[in-house]
Amino acid sequence: MAVHILGIRHHGPGSARNVKAFLETVKPDIVLVEGPPEADAMLQWVSNKGLKPPVALLCYQPDDPQRSVFYPFADFSPEWQAILYARRQNIHVRFMDLPAGNQMLVEKEHRVVKQQEEPDTGHINNEGQSLEQLYKSPISYLSDAAGFADDEKWWEHTFEYRNNNDEVFDAVAEAMQALRESLPQKDKKLELMREAYMRRTIRQAEKEMFHTIAVICGAWHAPALQSKSSQKDDNELLKGLPKVKTECTWIPWTFNRLSFYSGYGAGINSPGWYNHIWHHPNDDGTLWMANVAQLFRKQQMDTSVAHIIEAVRLAGALASLRGLPKVGLEELNEATLSVLCNGESILLKLVQDELIVGHQIGEVPVEIPKPPLQLDIEKQQKKLRLPATADYKDYTLDLRKDTDLDRSIFLHRLQLLGINWGRQQYTTGKGTFKEQWRLQWDPGYSVEIIERGNLGNTVVEAATASVLNQSKEAKELKAIGDLLEKTIPAELPGAIEALINELNNLAAASADVIELMEVVPGLITVARYGNVRKTDAELVLTIINSIITRVCISLPNACIAIDEDASQKLLELFFKLNDGINLLQDGEITDIWQQTLIIIAANKSTSPVVGGYSTRLLHDARQLEGDQLMQYFSFAMSSATAPVIAAAWLEGFLKGSGTLLLLDQDLWQVIDNWVAGLADDIFMQVLPLLRRTFANFTNPERRKLGEKARWGGGSGHQHTNIGANFDPERAKQSLPVIMQLLGLTINTTETNGN
Amino acid sequence: MSQILRQHAEQLFAHELEELKKQDGDKRPANWVLSPQSVVTYLVGGKLKNGFEVSPKYIGNRRLMEIAVATLTTDRALLLYGLPGTAKSWVSEHLAAAVSGDSTMIIQGTAGTSEESVRYGWNYARLIAQGPSPDALVETPVMRGMKDGKIVRLEELTRIGADVQDTLITILSEKTLPVPELNIEVQAVKGFNIIATANNRDKGVNELSSALKRRFNTVILPLPDSVDEEIDIVRRRVESFEKVMELPAEPPALQEIRRIVTIFRELRAGVTLDGKTKIKVPSGTLSTAEAISVVNSGLSMAAYFGDGQLKAADLAAGIIGSVIKDPVQDKLVWQEYLETVVKPRTDWADIYRACRDL
Repeated sequence: MAVHILGIRHHGPGSARNVKAFLETVKPDIVLVEGPPEADAMLQWVSNKGLKPPVALLCYQPDDPQRSVFYPFADFSPEWQAILYARRQNIHVRFMDLPAGNQMLVEKEHRVVKQQEEPDTGHINNEGQSLEQLYKSPISYLSDAAGFADDEKWWEHTFEYRNNNDEVFDAVAEAMQALRESLPQKDKKLELMREAYMRRTIRQAEKEMFHTIAVICGAWHAPALQSKSSQKDDNELLKGLPKVKTECTWIPWTFNRLSFYSGYGAGINSPGWYNHIWHHPNDDGTLWMANVAQLFRKQQMDTSVAHIIEAVRLAGALASLRGLPKVGLEELNEATLSVLCNGESILLKLVQDELIVGHQIGEVPVEIPKPPLQLDIEKQQKKLRLPATADYKDYTLDLRKDTDLDRSIFLHRLQLLGINWGRQQYTTGKGTFKEQWRLQWDPGYSVEIIERGNLGNTVVEAATASVLNQSKEAKELKAIGDLLEKTIPAELPGAIEALINELNNLAAASADVIELMEVVPGLITVARYGNVRKTDAELVLTIINSIITRVCISLPNACIAIDEDASQKLLELFFKLNDGINLLQDGEITDIWQQTLIIIAANKSTSPVVGGYSTRLLHDARQLEGDQLMQYFSFAMSSATAPVIAAAWLEGFLKGSGTLLLLDQDLWQVIDNWVAGLADDIFMQVLPLLRRTFANFTNPERRKLGEKARWGGGSGHQHTNIGANFDPERAKQSLPVIMQLLGLTINTTETNGN
Repeated sequence: MSQILRQHAEQLFAHELEELKKQDGDKRPANWVLSPQSVVTYLVGGKLKNGFEVSPKYIGNRRLMEIAVATLTTDRALLLYGLPGTAKSWVSEHLAAAVSGDSTMIIQGTAGTSEESVRYGWNYARLIAQGPSPDALVETPVMRGMKDGKIVRLEELTRIGADVQDTLITILSEKTLPVPELNIEVQAVKGFNIIATANNRDKGVNELSSALKRRFNTVILPLPDSVDEEIDIVRRRVESFEKVMELPAEPPALQEIRRIVTIFRELRAGVTLDGKTKIKVPSGTLSTAEAISVVNSGLSMAAYFGDGQLKAADLAAGIIGSVIKDPVQDKLVWQEYLETVVKPRTDWADIYRACRDL
């Protein structure tokens, strides 16, 4: 019976190669790998063709999915290679670390304890800091001794890049043993428990009469697993380990994510480079530089073969200058910088993103048991041909097409779920049928998907539930309105109905007419766009109807006794509301609205600006014309009215356009008389108001008004032309042509006869 | 002390080179005085096996020097690129001294540098008297460097006209210099290479042709990363200046150097060191080299006109001289800086007064 402990570095390509070679020579009958034992059942998938690294094991607590740990694996991860070997040889393979659930629990306790300890800092803090520095990286002591500036580099050159691997695991174990002995032990409880658990798993395997046991663990743990710690101590340490329910699944991972901190401790900086040396262990830099050149050429940068040759040579020279047996990434980068980029480091950023990190994303077979929501999302992604990619991709959706509409609905639903895979971008061009999206998948969404899983098993269900939850929390009419605006494009009938009910209830309870008015324009937009999206606009129309009715009832009172700022705000809302109502073209609503306007305009105590504007709106709608309009107008401008109020009324009436004044001679006359009748000091008083009114008109309008004023307000020369030199006989001759142009036939003889 | 105003690097640091040579255990490329490893040690400083301390010549990123030395071991030439005053020529001189033991083979690039001064010229008296013969040939540093297998330095490569620049292509790629008049050629001996320097500010004046660019490995020398690094550079260089000039003045207090470096860095970056106040940037480059010369001239002032101690007043003239390159624009920039940044700093009162009085 023999136990082989293989100390490795997580995601080290050299370690992976060594592990593979070692297992092939030793031929163990069981392989134990550092990892969460809950996930043992997931190991069978490793040999499945559909599971393509980079992937990660996700362990989460079903009742609190945010509590989760990832264990990422790439092709070049030693753990992955070990599991793969075991699966292919059909021998046992198990995870042996402390269960992920327990780890999460211990860490939580640790955090609580830390927080409690927080208050009594003081001089202890100083000491703690220096100790923390000591613990920073044990390997750095070895690298310092070897004269390397960076411990990662030292490890890479000592263990990862080498091709000759005899007794490398013994060397690693010995080095770590020396470190553990000479460094102050950080007796972190979690560390000790983990190692005890690993030893226990090894003992268990021994008990089961396996002959050759291969153990793959992080280098740091190797000596602890070799030491013959007593079984009793270990049991003592692990006593009363609570059972924590966790669930595990495989999720696709990205190279980009491999470079982050994850369940296996610190991530790696250069997954793309590691992938390269895993697949091409004997590359002297030529292949790498060729890839770099390819990349540069794709970006329209001239890169010749001679460049590659020179770069490889320089990298070799640098390596030998530094006494390194093999060219490393630093040498290659420096050579790229010096030879290919002319010293400018901007281009190197491209190499960093595309090659050193890379955009690879893993794949997970469909058959793997997954949370139902995840399954549904994947199904939709496939159906709608929206693959999850590590790099971003832009889509322009034409909502008139069925597929694009479905895509848009899907993306909107995900957004409601808080999964921001797609971000909507600004679209160029007109039309409400176009949407621009940018999609970039982040493996972290897996956690969110699991978390949202408690809302429902399909995207529709979960999104509906999510909207309902949000609507319960929202207490303001506007918030519900916004939510409704977001929900309509996601086509969730259940949620929409509930939102509308909620809106109705809130609207009924709301005493604030301004708040009600703010919601309406948004709703009208929804009702309008509903047509493109084939949503049922009826629902929205009902609610618009009821809200407008409410607005109309309380609006006249809201226009009384308000100051100027409030009036201006009200004016804006009037404008938007009127615009919306015009768009709707619903006879009933228009009627109610116009009735209200008449009440407001006729009320003498209405704020003058609002009163003026209401009159104007009525005129625009042809509800107030001729003498009736004159009556309103003269009344407002009569000399008994304080000039300031009259000016404000005029401002409201002329808001936006002065064409009315140009065309209507009577109105002009009234204003003319009014202005002429003002005393000098009062004129000075109202001048700023009038200036403000006229300043908003368009240039040609103002010019024409000016011209008209210069002509003394006379009826204008347009009128004088009429009747001058008019020859009815000649005019009659043109009639047949005009009739023909209009598509009408007339009896010419009859015309002649008449 | 010798009568020479400024000694070459290989003379000034002869003992260091000698010691490095003795201790050198690594493989030496053909015709190199030192092994590449020792060249790097000579440049960035360090302790030898026998405890001998090598002073650092270049203070900054060691990796840049490694790239430079590694380039010289390949058959590509080296182009040092950077702002004025970032120690390009300094590095090139020391590289040549350490690699070939000779930093004197130098061609200064100017707008008027002709092909004759790059390849070869003729002694016309001889040419007329004897006709074309090897005796009538005037060798340039390039030709001598090729014959002897030594490093040749080309200063300000981008100031040289494009047509003359391109005569280097054959020399760098074929490593040969044909003399068609005599029907001979000079083939470069191992160890020959070229170190060129070029200036960021001259970018676009005589842009290198892409054929020539391809023959060079480029190393960009940056401005110092931190204040402390820059102060270190200035202090070391000023101390060596004192030694050479035999100045009676007392060595400058670190405090004074720190202030000058601070002023230069702030004006260069356009923001105060604490990152709070924005400053206008003057037209000059305000490199470390200029900071060094300000302290040096301040030392001379103190030694000959003052009481031997470096004071703010001794430095003021130097600072103003290097900041104000454009009499109209820069003057405003400087006054604004003086009033808004220098004045409020209470412990800078002396320097404020000294600068304002000038």
